[in-house]
Amino acid sequence: MNSAIPYAQALTNLTAHAQPPLRPAELSRSALLAQYHPDSDANASTLLQIGPSRGQACHPQLAALLQSNALIDGFDLAGAEQRSTDVLVIGGGGAGAAAALTAARSGAQVMLASKLRLGDSNTVMAEGGIQAALAASDSPQQHFDDAMRGGHQCANPQLLAQMASDAPGVIRWLIELGMHFDLEDPLSDGGKLRYKQAGGCSQRRILCYRDYTGLEMMRVLRETVELDPAISLLNRCPVVELLSHEDGSCAGAVLYDLEYQRFMVVSARQTILATGGCGRLHLQGFPTSNHYGATADGLVLAYRLGAGLRDMDAFQYHPTGVAWPQRLRGGLISEAARSGGALLVNGLGERFIEELAPRDVVSAAILRECAAGRGIERNGQLGVFLDTRALGPELAQRLPALQHLADKCGIDPSREPMLIYPTLHYQNGGVVIDGNGQTEVPGLLCAGEITGGIHGRNRLMGNALLDILAFGRRAGRQAARLAQAARHKSSLPPLRGGIEHVYRWQRQLALAGLDASVQAPLLYPGQARLALHRPTGTRAQEK
Amino acid sequence: MEKLNQVLLNPAVQVGPNLDAWLQAGGGLGLQVALGARSTIIRQIADADLRGMGGAGFPAWRKWEATANAVGDSKYVVCNGNEDEPGTFKDRTLLSASPHQVVEGALIAALAVRAACVIFYINPHQGQSMQHMQLAVSQWQHSTLLQQLEQALGHPLEIKVVASSGRYIGGEETAVVASLEAGFPFPRKKPPFPAEQGINGQPTLINNVETLANVSHILRHGADWYRALGVGKASGTKLYSLSGDVLRPGLYELPMGTSLQELVFHYGGGMLQGKAFKAVFTGGPSNTLLTARDLDVALDFDSVWLRHSRLGTGAMIVISEGSSIIRKVAEYIDFFAKGSCGQCPSCKCGTFQLARLLDRVDGGRHSHADLDALQHLCQILPGSGRCGLIDGAVTVVKSSMHTFPQEYGLPVSAEPSTATA
Repeated sequence: MNSAIPYAQALTNLTAHAQPPLRPAELSRSALLAQYHPDSDANASTLLQIGPSRGQACHPQLAALLQSNALIDGFDLAGAEQRSTDVLVIGGGGAGAAAALTAARSGAQVMLASKLRLGDSNTVMAEGGIQAALAASDSPQQHFDDAMRGGHQCANPQLLAQMASDAPGVIRWLIELGMHFDLEDPLSDGGKLRYKQAGGCSQRRILCYRDYTGLEMMRVLRETVELDPAISLLNRCPVVELLSHEDGSCAGAVLYDLEYQRFMVVSARQTILATGGCGRLHLQGFPTSNHYGATADGLVLAYRLGAGLRDMDAFQYHPTGVAWPQRLRGGLISEAARSGGALLVNGLGERFIEELAPRDVVSAAILRECAAGRGIERNGQLGVFLDTRALGPELAQRLPALQHLADKCGIDPSREPMLIYPTLHYQNGGVVIDGNGQTEVPGLLCAGEITGGIHGRNRLMGNALLDILAFGRRAGRQAARLAQAARHKSSLPPLRGGIEHVYRWQRQLALAGLDASVQAPLLYPGQARLALHRPTGTRAQEK
Repeated sequence: MEKLNQVLLNPAVQVGPNLDAWLQAGGGLGLQVALGARSTIIRQIADADLRGMGGAGFPAWRKWEATANAVGDSKYVVCNGNEDEPGTFKDRTLLSASPHQVVEGALIAALAVRAACVIFYINPHQGQSMQHMQLAVSQWQHSTLLQQLEQALGHPLEIKVVASSGRYIGGEETAVVASLEAGFPFPRKKPPFPAEQGINGQPTLINNVETLANVSHILRHGADWYRALGVGKASGTKLYSLSGDVLRPGLYELPMGTSLQELVFHYGGGMLQGKAFKAVFTGGPSNTLLTARDLDVALDFDSVWLRHSRLGTGAMIVISEGSSIIRKVAEYIDFFAKGSCGQCPSCKCGTFQLARLLDRVDGGRHSHADLDALQHLCQILPGSGRCGLIDGAVTVVKSSMHTFPQEYGLPVSAEPSTATA
């Protein structure tokens, strides 16, 4: 470990000033990012060798999974249960739920499969809030400008514009579903929505419910999905492979039913992947704020089927992950804390960055402090202080999740600072989509964190919850439209696909000399390693 | 020694629809030889032992002779380029990469049988086949070679490119006739064979694209040269459409009679992922399966026939140990069921029932009665249609049940015999 200032010493330095001074910036933001952001690390990028995005930069850990072998062979599907549906949604987070609901309400039969349970997702961990240009002084144009700047001008302007324009409609939809938001005056009827400031934004634009906005959102989404008769829900059914038609289009997916321990072949007219990101890969050994399901499953499958990716070397490291105690390492402290006035302070008792600068800049600054020996060490854990004392006694009421987390750490946040360190938070890149979530593969749509291009190379606070709903709904609507058009042509159940694309992929692996023993998707890495049960008898007899 | 792509796929003749380039590459010489010795053309084709490459393997000269001897005032030569079988992709390659090779062969055939009309019957859904053929034929219309040919014939020769329906059944010989008479491609009963009564009752010679593509080379280099290209008694080369679980699938022109082992493991790069070889669907895929026991078989019409299977179109769909035979068979039977023209009730209903039963077996939703029904259908259906579609469908089902009974959950006989036909 780099040299660091011991905790007790740092605490003394902190309390020496009533108001910690802000050290003038010695590096420009771009220089800071180039030197200290984890994405700029020499070991953080390699080139993809095969597949639709070959030649593009990608994180090596992710590249190993993207260029991997399938979990199943054609034989595994012999005797598998067959089902069919108009729209198959894979992923039980906010994007999947929004897509399923919208598709169902547009008249499609929907099947929603989750490898965990509906709602077990990063959506419920989103604390800060959701951005929407609703205030009188605000506009979607300003929302767009802020997000474009925050993403280093790398976002796809069409996608970003759609997201910003959809935002007011998304909030209305959520309120209609029954979601609560913080109000300026909660006691009056029809109160005004309360807006918070987000990092990198020109306006107060964040809507929230306490500091567990995602949980509240998922609550209403889950209730609505479970009550919708047009959606059949498959919990604990991970997707192990997509199915393809001869022309390369997506034909549904192969699921594995954990309860009955057997494969299930779902033929779908349209398939929506909403499987989220890849935080649980712990890129470069970083802790992560992501839930255990974030293992890039959908990304791997979409790429294998031929969907192009973008910005696969751009990840977001949230500045304020818990650094101490170790058992809670990586756990997220919402940006709402900094938005409400919490300060970042190094071991010398100085502020070293504007707290509400874009997340990547703040993270890079924290890493610089740690690298320069101005970090703080407590029981072997390195970090800097998040000084929450300024939030005052309202903290417990306004930010109950932070209070809860602090309680678990054994800290009183109104009197003590918390030790924090950047945590792997979000996958900025992902599958290339058009404005309706359509990927380059016909029959396959994507929504949510799995997609790329909406946020460019860095995302602003509150735009993730907006993104999953805006594009979840767009993908759901588009899938229902396409499925209905297909049903109009032929009322027969959708044609059954195969895994011919897997064989094509294996050929490419072999010809590129890549290791075919690496298998993906990971599904449940490191825990209860899933043994896929093969149909007994026939295969055994053959061997 | 590498003996890949010696004749039809020889890089020198892959000139596309450019007639001048074709003539520079030695094209036209075959036709000139033919013009000089038109009475011996059929003899030379017979000496070369050119076979029908569309799947039958029937000696080409017999059809030529029958057509030549039949009485008619406007005979037809039809080049059958309807190719639509799963796993076959040879004709489309020839038609788009070297169309003049095919045109010249057809013109020589027209000379041999004294035809008044040459029709290229092309599947319009296969890449650039149609476009390149139209270009190629339009260039011949004004060539001096065609004028010489018409002089030799003593009457004008009409050359047309006609789009086929693209349906599988449209490639059947009598369906070609029906289609070119502007009807739905319903196959007809044989005899009469098209060589006696084809389009509009006129004698009609119908040959596959690959068959005709060989003709100019045979005339130019002689029958002995052609015979020597093959392995053993087989003559010439064959286009093998290799697909399935191999590392390098693709179209390979190899000496007729190359062994299956060599095709799969040498040219095909071996099995994908090093998995064990399980079986090969040949031809249509409507033939008896070849298994690991048959890896040594020489891939020519006669040798494969001795193993109770057929070479067919030269399509080789390789199946590895990791793939389900039933799934594949179900796919192909489904294809046949959808491709049945529907005029023979036994074929229309039989293929449908086979497909339904196989889908149940594949989905693990079957009962013993379903397996019994499958076996009964395999006994009663063969020979019940006007054409061979139902026979082919039954053959592949029967063969898969016999060769891989354990996958169907049927009792495994202690000593499976090689004969399944």
